[in-house]
This record gives sequence, structure tokens and C-alpha cells, in this order.
Amino acid sequence: MVFGESKRYYVDRRVTDRIAATGAQSFASYFARLRSDLNGEIEQFINAFTVNETYFYREEHQLRCLSSDLLAQRTARVDRTRTIRIWSIPCSTGEEPYSIAIWLLENWPQVDAYDIEIVGSDIDTQVLEAARSGIYGRRALMRLAPALIQKYFEPLDEDRWRVIEDLRQSVRFSPVNVVEASETRAYGQFDVIFCRNVLIYFDDASRRIAAENLFENLLPGGFICLGHTESMSRISPLFEVCRYADAIVYRRAREDADGKSVG
Amino acid sequence: MVKASAKSILVIDDASLVRLYYRDALERAGFQVTEAMNGLEALEKLLVEPADLLIVDVNMPKMDGLTFLKILRRQELPLAATPALVTSTESGPQDIDAARKAGANFYLVKPVAQDELAAYAAMFCGEPR
Repeated sequence: MVFGESKRYYVDRRVTDRIAATGAQSFASYFARLRSDLNGEIEQFINAFTVNETYFYREEHQLRCLSSDLLAQRTARVDRTRTIRIWSIPCSTGEEPYSIAIWLLENWPQVDAYDIEIVGSDIDTQVLEAARSGIYGRRALMRLAPALIQKYFEPLDEDRWRVIEDLRQSVRFSPVNVVEASETRAYGQFDVIFCRNVLIYFDDASRRIAAENLFENLLPGGFICLGHTESMSRISPLFEVCRYADAIVYRRAREDADGKSVG
Repeated sequence: MVKASAKSILVIDDASLVRLYYRDALERAGFQVTEAMNGLEALEKLLVEPADLLIVDVNMPKMDGLTFLKILRRQELPLAATPALVTSTESGPQDIDAARKAGANFYLVKPVAQDELAAYAAMFCGEPR
């Protein structure tokens, strides 16, 4: 494997992961552990670089929160002619945005009553190509019930399935760097943003920039969902915390006519 | 598995999620389903292969549902008489009236539950199996 300078974030992210996972106090101490292959760390280290795929219905509780609480909040205030916009960023190879589409078809009885726009974005154009092609292995589908696989995928061979065309058409994929405001602004404002398990890999300054960018990409009253180990309260004071039965999410405050926050 | 003799329904909607949702409901009930993304594509498909029932959305690009119905009703029989069930988010009496005048046989306001759609489909074109 060769990692050029453009892949530095990718390398940093995985090394940081392993340092945290082993409880090493510093890079030097982690490096010593790696060199001596303590507890098979070499293999763990290699896996961290190769096993980066996510899977369908990951953190399902947030999807449940989306259909049972967040969309009810969003649709209570909009007329039916407005599009409900959902952004998955970063979307990696597409499991998350396709999961959102499948979840809504299966669990949101209003799914035919609104125009739903699902956008998947990532900085990595290679994963976006994979996302568009919609081809997945067994591992990515492990959490989906067989009936859902049969309904929303077509088998290519024994170990690969492809998302059916209608579902592929329901998600639009595009390259976006979440720390570049000029790139994120172009996407307009969303009702719900899923930004899971990426901010933890940024340094404090980038994390704050990303959070503030995403704030601008939320409609007033719109929600952002982070990974379950992440907390927006430690990143930016712009958002309100919302506790629902299935998840804790963050909200851009609604504004009244004077532009004043009304919570 | 759908039998070869299954009744066929053409779902016409520009939103791929809605087509998937209705297709799922109708296929589970035993109907054979084809899809079109707008009125123009629906006309093209119907000229090649007739359907037993049409599920027609109203707001679509290229050709909306009501324009499609007006044109359909001017075709030759039996194509012109294909039953059409309009689905729309609009629930005003003027909207329903406009659909009726365009040639709709029935009108359902979205959201339409999957069971409900399958039940109305069976009333129009007979039990699927």
C-alpha cells in the first residue's frame, strides 16, 4: 500500500485510532508497541488501514429517531410542497444514505407524501464512485434482514449484491470537503444532517470549522446527528441538545420573524 | 413469485422512492408492476404494453399526471379506457375536480398506506390471484 501526501488525513485518522485503542500515552510509546508486535498489534494496525467499510443500518437507533421524532418535527412546520432534504456527510461508500432511504420506505408512513432529497457527500472521489455503483459484500449487509436484502438488492454473484436502480436513483452523490465553507455552502440548507464518526478524527480547530459549516447548512430547526461517541457540546456552542427516546441529536435553533432564537 | 397471468399496474411517479413504495405494496399483493417517471414515459410504455390499472401522480416534470390523462382518454379503445387512480398531496375540492375532468377514475390523497393502495387496486382490476 502506498499513501501519498493527499492521503495524510487517512493515515492520521487510523494511527490515532490505534493509539486510542491500545491506550498508548504517546505516538512514541505506540510505535514501540508496534515494533515489538505487542498483542499482535501489527495485524491490528494493518486491519485499521484496510477494513474501513461501514455497513447498512449502522447505529439503527438514530434511524429510528429520524422516522419517529425528527421528521415529525420537520414536517409539522412545512407544507407538503417543500422538499425534505437529508445530507449524509461523509457518506463513504454509500451505506448510510442508502440505509436512510430503505429505513424511510420501511418505517415512515409519510414517505410518499413528501419529496425527499437524499444527498451523500465525501471528500474521497473513489468511495463516491463505489457509492454510485452500489455494489456491496456480505459484511456490509450483515445487519439487514434477508427480506430487506431481497427487496432492495439484486444478487450479482455469491458474495456481492447491487442496490436496485430505483434506490440508487433516490440518492445523489457529490464530492465535498466538510471544512471548506465554499464547498459546503453550495449545497444549501437541509432538514437533517448525518455527520457520524468523522469529527472525532479532526483536530480541535478543524472540528469547530466543520461544525460551524454544517450549522450554516441546516435550516432553522434542522437537526444534526453525530456518532454515538461524539458530543457537539464539546465542539461548538451553536447547537441545542435534543434528547429523544432513541438518540441524542443537535438542533439549529428556530428563529422568529425578528431573527431571534425561540428554541 | 408473480404469476404470468397477474394483473399489471403501471405506477407513474417522478420520485423513485414513491415508485419503490407503491411497487412494494402492489407486488406483495400479487400484482405485476411496471414504472414510468412521467406522463410522457407512461404513454410510450402503454403504446407498447397495455396495463390493467394506472397509478398516476399529479406533479411531474416533462408531462404532469393530468395532461397525461387528458391525452390518454383521446387514444383509441381499449387503451383510452384504462382505469386511472390519481394520487396527490393536494386534497382541495378543486384539485379533485380537475383530476376528474382530466379523466381520473379515483383520487387518493397522499400519504397512501400500502394496504390501502393494494385494496383499491384490487377493486379496480380484480383480485390479483
